[in-house]
Amino acid sequence: MKRWTERRGAGNGGGRVNSPLLKHGWVAALLLVASLQLAQAWDGATPYFGLAALAGFAALPLRKLVPSGLAALAVMVVAMTGGFFAARGASPDRDPTWVLLDTVPRLLTAARPAPATPELLVPGLLLIIGVSTGAVLSVSKRGTALFVPALGAATLYVSAALLTTGRADKYGLVALTLVVLLALGWLIIDRRGPVVPPAVPATALAALTLVAFVLPANGFEPRKLVTPPVTDIAVSNPLPQLAAWAAQGEAELFRMRGPEVPVRLVTLSRYTGASWEAASTYGPLGVVDPPDLPAGGKSQDASVDLRITGLQGEWLPGVGKPRAVSLSNAMVDPDTGSLVVADGLRTGLSYTVRGVLETPADSDLAEARVPADATKYTALPRLPFTLADYARQATQNARTPYEKAVALEQVVRLNRRPDAEAPVGSSYARLETFLFGAPGESGAGAGTAEQFASAYAVLARAVGLPTRVVVGFQPVPEENGERIVRAADATAWPEVYFSGWGWVAFDPVSGNGSGPSAASKREVLNRLASTTAKPTPTSLPSVPPLVQPTAVQGDEVAAPPADSVFPFWVFTPLLVLVALCAARTSRRLRLRAAGPVGAWNEVLDALQLAGMRPNPSRTVPDVGREWGEAGARLAVMVDQAAFAPRPVPAQDSWRLARQVEKAVRGKASWWRRVLWAVDPRPLFRR
Amino acid sequence: MIDAGEVSAFRDLHTRLGDAVEGAVRGKRDVVDLVLVAMFAGGHVLLEDVPGTGKTTLARAVAGALGGVSRRVQFTPDLLPSDVTGTSVYDPQTGQIRFRPGPVFANIVLADEINRAAAKTQSALLEVMEERTVTIDGVGHAVPDPFLVVATQNPIDLDGTYRLPEAQLDRFMLRTSIGYPSVEDELDVLRPGSGAGRIADVHTVSSPREISAFSGRLSLLHVADPILQYISGLGTGTRSDERLRLGSSTRGLRTLVRCAQVYAASKGRHFVVPQDVQDIADPVLAHRLVLTRESVLAGVTTSEVLADVLSRVPVPKPSAQ
Repeated sequence: MKRWTERRGAGNGGGRVNSPLLKHGWVAALLLVASLQLAQAWDGATPYFGLAALAGFAALPLRKLVPSGLAALAVMVVAMTGGFFAARGASPDRDPTWVLLDTVPRLLTAARPAPATPELLVPGLLLIIGVSTGAVLSVSKRGTALFVPALGAATLYVSAALLTTGRADKYGLVALTLVVLLALGWLIIDRRGPVVPPAVPATALAALTLVAFVLPANGFEPRKLVTPPVTDIAVSNPLPQLAAWAAQGEAELFRMRGPEVPVRLVTLSRYTGASWEAASTYGPLGVVDPPDLPAGGKSQDASVDLRITGLQGEWLPGVGKPRAVSLSNAMVDPDTGSLVVADGLRTGLSYTVRGVLETPADSDLAEARVPADATKYTALPRLPFTLADYARQATQNARTPYEKAVALEQVVRLNRRPDAEAPVGSSYARLETFLFGAPGESGAGAGTAEQFASAYAVLARAVGLPTRVVVGFQPVPEENGERIVRAADATAWPEVYFSGWGWVAFDPVSGNGSGPSAASKREVLNRLASTTAKPTPTSLPSVPPLVQPTAVQGDEVAAPPADSVFPFWVFTPLLVLVALCAARTSRRLRLRAAGPVGAWNEVLDALQLAGMRPNPSRTVPDVGREWGEAGARLAVMVDQAAFAPRPVPAQDSWRLARQVEKAVRGKASWWRRVLWAVDPRPLFRR
Repeated sequence: MIDAGEVSAFRDLHTRLGDAVEGAVRGKRDVVDLVLVAMFAGGHVLLEDVPGTGKTTLARAVAGALGGVSRRVQFTPDLLPSDVTGTSVYDPQTGQIRFRPGPVFANIVLADEINRAAAKTQSALLEVMEERTVTIDGVGHAVPDPFLVVATQNPIDLDGTYRLPEAQLDRFMLRTSIGYPSVEDELDVLRPGSGAGRIADVHTVSSPREISAFSGRLSLLHVADPILQYISGLGTGTRSDERLRLGSSTRGLRTLVRCAQVYAASKGRHFVVPQDVQDIADPVLAHRLVLTRESVLAGVTTSEVLADVLSRVPVPKPSAQ
């Protein structure tokens, strides 16, 4: 116990430890937690932000030479100069004075999470370095120590919450960690000197926390403050061109390096009954709105380098759902991920696309549902009865959406052959000829990928599966490190959306494709075949009446699995109580180890909790006398420990303090007694 | 450094002296203790009270208990300085000029109604109090040790008084008043055959030599730095108070430290605690403070101001050393 007392050195009234190592360790931990939280708004920014969190310590050696303010200024000037050059490289044509300011709107219109490119990292890094410098400097001097770290941590946390729309800390665990760290700070940091009244930081923190929780939850989105440039582009529908490409055969369109993945050119999600249409509004990559249907639960990244060698038009080939494109003028449709360059492709254009491929397992799809409200993807204006009935019959034995999708793939493929010479078109009439046409009729049972994909999509929509058509290129083998994509590789395929798993490709042309495995499809088909015979298209009436697609409904309302998570935030109050209780207990243990002076502080804590805080001008015996003999005896010990030249260790001071505390507690009102163990007031400076 | 054993011996002596004096002065233990504190601290006491409250009895009882010489000077308007300090006279038998010591040559000098004498005479006494020597015809004559002047002063609004100037008030270590006794004590005093006021009954329980020895040692009593800071804070508090024209001087604060040392020892402690400072702050400091004219007219007293300052300045927080 003696050693304890000695080690605490120049302990003050609260008996706080004032070791620089502990203090700086604390502020480093606080800054790291807050910075890594902010790093979630970027993709792969963690190491940079971790380093930036410690940048403030660079001001410490400077502080020995110059005043704190100048040291902070020096660090910030260096950081901003670095930021300027990093950001200038990305936009050399901008006015230099606006380079740093321009990074913020750039970040707000970038993809989410933002790619870790220098100009997008700059605003985050500068914020962290500023906060870090302020926090480190403020704890190295006495005084307003805790206010700056608390404010800084709150700023970083709020920024992270706004940039990620509150998704970075869904259950408030990081917030709780920060609060616990700050509470520890109250114990660690020596706060002598001019102290900001606790109410000021408390109010500021409360306001910021409220902002962090309420704004993202209410749909507040800082990105909405910056208008993303949206462009209306009337681009041609490339579906009819499939036939032309098929005719061109060996003509080289582009070359790519990267994994063997299908390349997407454009995704068509609107069907008018006469043709498929692409979206017409495009914005910069990473625009505000997330896709209308959420992404799937399993995915992987793919990155390919492409070089255009013959492809024309505005559509830019890409992989998966693009997240980053190295072309600054590329724009994207947020729902489908189709990429366009407004001024068109040119030969020799090289770029890199990074995209996300959804990779659900076969077993995931077996029981997957489809959303009932995706009417945009099930719309079939004035669907002919023949097609509706054909789809119904084809899927009558299928139990799940996946079985329906597989059954339709089989039904469209069987007895139909790919024919590059077949008539183009994807209207109801062309599809009816394709599906039910009499032998000899032009285009009956024969078509390009356009007809296969369109027919599949229309039939799938008819049974309520959200479906769209993708025009792209099938994967090609690698030659000398490059994949040469030729006109003959152009194709189209349908995609069906499953709740929780995203868009899944099917291949009615060959039955293979990049979607579910052949084995899984065969298993489904075997089961369906054993149930009943295949539907026969010949049983259809020859002159079908028209039906409205209103009869077509989604299967069932289904929730994606990611949403059904227990709301852990309900534990937050409990955790706060536990944290407070722990902080109080820790203070108590320290006081207990601090001899009579600690015991007296325990008594003062009790008096404060009971609302009977003595006037600071009253002496210890004066206060102690009010609480009977135990108080008077304790007061003598305290005076001796505090003012005698060689204090004699007093053994039972803690016992006396407990007696006094008991007496004090007995006089407190009931609600003070209820809050006794968790009231944080004793943690603050008296 | 003075240790606990020595302090305990001092406390015994202090208690003995106090008990002896209390035999003659009933129910005024606190005043007795203060006078004893001043004596051990090497200072002088100013008793300010109306006549007939036992001022003279107190001084004589202390002298009796101490076993030293006590003299009394009744100050009147026509009293001359030499009546106090003594004078040189021609001795016809030896044919030489001989110094005849005045009443100040005693261990305890009771200067009764000091404010009735002319300023010249007052300052003669105050000079001795400070210097502890009387210089006549170029020859210094030291007064005995211990040397305690207990001056009494009638409240200044009585007729025929010369108010002591502030500079001279500062020479007194303590100022206190005796006040009327409680009802029980007064009955005890009034009862025929009571021993109260009978100086002859006061036992001699000590000796001037013993007092001197302790007096020197007590100045070594430990005073922790926070206590000194507290005392300094009190001084600053008085100096910044708007109701005061003059706050406490550094000499006043130094005297407070000295008195706190003796006071702490009298309580059996070998270190000073904030309570000691608070207990003796009023007798030590109040008479050194000078009110502004407005405050005087408003009827404020320096004791009230000092009490305010004491309730304003936070005591040092106990902290492990």
